[in-house]
Amino acid sequence: MMRPWLLRAQQATGTRRLSYDHTPRIQPCGIRTLTTAHSLHHPQQQRPVHAAPPPTRNLVKGRWEPIIGLEIHAQIKSNTKLFSDGQTSFNAPTNTHVTLIDAAYPGTLPQLSQECVDLAVKTSLALDAHVYPVSSFDRKHYFYPDLPQGYQITQHYEPLAQNGKIELSPLDGLDYHLTVGIEQLQLEQDTGKSLHDVYPGLTLLDFNRAGTGLMEIVTKPDLRSSKEAGILVKKLQALLRAINSSDGNMDEGSMRCDVNVSVHEVGKAYGERSELKNLNSIKSVVDAIDAEIARQIEAYESNEPVTQETRGFDVSTGTTFRIRSKESAPDYRYMPEPDLPRLVLDLATIRALKAQLPELPDVQRERIMSQYDLSLIETRTLMGEDGMVEYFESVVSKGPSAKSVITWTIHELLGRLNTRGIKFSPKVVKAPQLESLINCVDRGVISAKVGKTILNLMIEGDLRDAEAIVEEKGWKQMENHDELDKLCEDMMSQYQDKVKAVQKGNVGVLGFFVGQIMKQSKGRANPVVVNQILRTKMGLPEVSESEGSGQSSSSDQGQKSKKKKK
Amino acid sequence: MLSSASFIRPSSIRTRPLRRHAARSLVTSIFSKTSTPTAEAEGCLKNIAKYNQYTNAFVDLTQPDHIRSQAAEATRRWESEAAKSAVDGAVMGYKMNFCTSDLRTTCSSAMLENFKAPYTATAIELLEKAGVIMGGKTNMDEFGMGSHNVYSHAGPARNPFKIIDRSPDETKELEARSAGGSSGGSAAAVASNMCFAALGSDTGGSVRLPASYCGVVGFKPSYGRISRWGLVAYASSLDTVGTLTKTVDDAQTIYDIMAKEDPKDSTCLTERQRKAIADTINPIDLTKFSDQEVKTKPLLGVRVGIPQEFNVAELAPATKDLWRRGIQALKDAGAVVIPVSLPNTKLAVGAYFTLATAEASSNLQRYDGIRYGHQSDKNDEKDALYTHTRMEGFGKEVKRRILLGTYVLTSGSFDNFFLRAQKIRQMVRNDFDRVFSRRNAITGSCGNLVEDFENDNSTATRVHALLTPVAVSTAPKLKDVIGDQIDPVDAFLDDIFTIPASLAGIPSMSVPFGTCTKDGFPMGLQVMSQYGDEEMVFKVAKVIEEKGKGMCSEKQGEQ
Repeated sequence: MMRPWLLRAQQATGTRRLSYDHTPRIQPCGIRTLTTAHSLHHPQQQRPVHAAPPPTRNLVKGRWEPIIGLEIHAQIKSNTKLFSDGQTSFNAPTNTHVTLIDAAYPGTLPQLSQECVDLAVKTSLALDAHVYPVSSFDRKHYFYPDLPQGYQITQHYEPLAQNGKIELSPLDGLDYHLTVGIEQLQLEQDTGKSLHDVYPGLTLLDFNRAGTGLMEIVTKPDLRSSKEAGILVKKLQALLRAINSSDGNMDEGSMRCDVNVSVHEVGKAYGERSELKNLNSIKSVVDAIDAEIARQIEAYESNEPVTQETRGFDVSTGTTFRIRSKESAPDYRYMPEPDLPRLVLDLATIRALKAQLPELPDVQRERIMSQYDLSLIETRTLMGEDGMVEYFESVVSKGPSAKSVITWTIHELLGRLNTRGIKFSPKVVKAPQLESLINCVDRGVISAKVGKTILNLMIEGDLRDAEAIVEEKGWKQMENHDELDKLCEDMMSQYQDKVKAVQKGNVGVLGFFVGQIMKQSKGRANPVVVNQILRTKMGLPEVSESEGSGQSSSSDQGQKSKKKKK
Repeated sequence: MLSSASFIRPSSIRTRPLRRHAARSLVTSIFSKTSTPTAEAEGCLKNIAKYNQYTNAFVDLTQPDHIRSQAAEATRRWESEAAKSAVDGAVMGYKMNFCTSDLRTTCSSAMLENFKAPYTATAIELLEKAGVIMGGKTNMDEFGMGSHNVYSHAGPARNPFKIIDRSPDETKELEARSAGGSSGGSAAAVASNMCFAALGSDTGGSVRLPASYCGVVGFKPSYGRISRWGLVAYASSLDTVGTLTKTVDDAQTIYDIMAKEDPKDSTCLTERQRKAIADTINPIDLTKFSDQEVKTKPLLGVRVGIPQEFNVAELAPATKDLWRRGIQALKDAGAVVIPVSLPNTKLAVGAYFTLATAEASSNLQRYDGIRYGHQSDKNDEKDALYTHTRMEGFGKEVKRRILLGTYVLTSGSFDNFFLRAQKIRQMVRNDFDRVFSRRNAITGSCGNLVEDFENDNSTATRVHALLTPVAVSTAPKLKDVIGDQIDPVDAFLDDIFTIPASLAGIPSMSVPFGTCTKDGFPMGLQVMSQYGDEEMVFKVAKVIEEKGKGMCSEKQGEQ
């Protein structure tokens, strides 16, 4: 609809421009129109409809139902802060990333960051939430030395997005399917940091973090156990990392979690809720919820009142403690932010951001499992490391079978990196290197054992392809039948009694010979070929490849042929 | 939500871009052929030495030598015809709440007594680029809160009228009068020729009221025209950068320099919006007038409204008389003057003080003495640090308004006070949209139904501008507005005529219109027009100014 008098200011802050609605904001909470963003739904991201979880579940002592909701603050992974061009930082020297706006100097005004808005919109879309075409900012007031303005700019009345959801399923470790509603996602500012008692009796202030963008993500009270809550947090973390909108590290503070917990008897009115604050790991979230559920039930059972309050969690004792009661809760005196006109996001902008979304974890998990026939554990391991899915897929795309690539990637490579304490990165052993290695093993040029030695070299810094290493070291597998024939004959004459045992039917002893020959050849003998030669020489029937010795090389070849049939 | 209110754009309205810049030559010097920036600057320095002690207009002054050397450079530029702008080399005063990297930015508060801003306000940067010299920083009510410039840590500013060209002994005899507030220092500095012009800030009348009291031109443009970056906030949704000048032309010249897009202020209009606003302003239809008439009567085709609700009981007879003469002046210039109604005017003051104090309480939260500004010595524990710092740092009126605003925003009274005031503010906006013949360019509103708008316009019951008094009386005596004898609620009366334009964000100008027959002190008339239509204000104000000049000398001659 063309409305010539509704002029939208555009402010240069990046490649695209932010749009503002300069019409005066009369009421802070008007009636909002939902965007048709949900009609943008990507078919690929349609999730199957599952049966609803049991209406009452996870009852404690058979009759107490916990009601749990989460408020998660995720730091936006942007280059600059939400309302200034100050750089975001982590562990930088104190007070080195503070602009005049961050320090709330008189006369300064907030300038909204395009980058932060984009990342928050993407996150909202990934949470399947409605992104509003118009949202606005408000001030939340309180006095604290690490809050420079004396208020936090947030989105109290008209948040960026509402009505999203996260699906939890058995694939996430739950025994049932559960849809957890996302109440809303809003943009707001982070505070600075107060460092108490670095010098006894003094509080030092670090404003590096002041003004950094946060996404406050509030779930509906759809959770019924600490386990569900823990899984939800993990899932949200993975989602934020996939979009690259937040690091989501609870231990580094780039993700923080507050929990609302209440308990009631099934069929009776809901109980008073307490808010658990400052939980800084998923384990604390889980433990604090359990402790709080137990505390509330105990209070009810001993007829003590449970009141609305804010509580903390003591990790050392595993119990929660009161921070403040409802009566002493601060009045934040919310007020529409007069320095920022309403933010306008047109459908084209939202669509463009939707198109930029990467494959989301649930969709990726499903695709990888079916496309490569991987187990849930293998898939999880792949997705658990930054960039490993792309790494895996880039190796597979060059030809090797998915089975051998997954073995070499997660068992061999990741296992070795873990023992060495190195974090996975596609740069340690480059994808083409691993591909050449897998090719050499699969083609029988080298044995799996030699392959592992070469992988070690690569991890230690050898940047050459496997072929070049094999060539230089002379590790090419013995394919020459004459040579292998001789080795086999020598061995058979050396252990004649064992030959007899084999011929009597004790086929297992064959493994002994293969082992000895491998040892003799320093691993260069092809165990499959050796096995065949020995069988022929001892007069046993030949076996098909797939029933082979269980060595990776042979089984991989089996996979390879299977794949070809596809 | 206002922005979703849809209406149909009537096809009968043709828009055409207004080429106003073509009408005025860009480099028309403010300096007459006989004068130079150096000579003017010397005059300013002389007057500062003469009058500043009495008026207390400038609180901080630029070093005279620095002013001289800058003026000399500007003089050379004029001589080599390389002047930066029409005002290259002019000396200006800046209100103490504009951040400048030279001199302090105290906002007349003990809280910021030693505060030097590490940056310069956008408006001042633009003036500096045009060659303007900072003469100094002017006195004001603390953080802009006051109407008589008496709530100042630097002491009150005094009205310079009648002291000019009198000996210091004679001035001692005079009973000091209010310079008005909150931009009292700026108005007094301009009125006593200590500078070519001054910047003020106008939240509810802070430029227009002192202009009226001191006999200068005070201009508040539409909200969003001039960047607020670097203007220390009082009430962000009302704060505007304003000017105090000797003539309407000077106001227009300075305004043109400062009215620019600024990405640092998100509420500042973009160039695109400015163009779009200009496009919605239709030129006056002059086709039915003869060329002879057009030449002699500058306001032909212009309809000016007289809001009946401004005729309040408190209006002094002399002010009423002034208003009547103003109406006659406009009629003489060819304007059609008609009575109009702004029914919600009487609600405006209450709404203003509710919203302004709420925003002030929020904006002043940042003064905690931690990163800058005053910090109390009695800082033994956290709460005490805030309590003592703010108790010592803020003056009486500021504390009063913070408390009021804090109360307005508490969850128990937010709906009853803040939201209600927001609604009244919208009603006041609607009042204006209903009487103006032009739509509100930012909201598209015409106050009521489009059909009515069409009818009204064809029957010519809508107006291009409004004419009202600025204040109920001339400048009061300082002793009557200082101290506890004045009821703070009565003090709000000073602003009743200026507040509606602030709430609506429309342009408004206080133009001197002679002196009061009773006490000989100057008075101004206020010209307002639709949002974004500054040109109309200038046009009408120039007629008032012209007529007022003659009247001023006539009355003084009588004394």
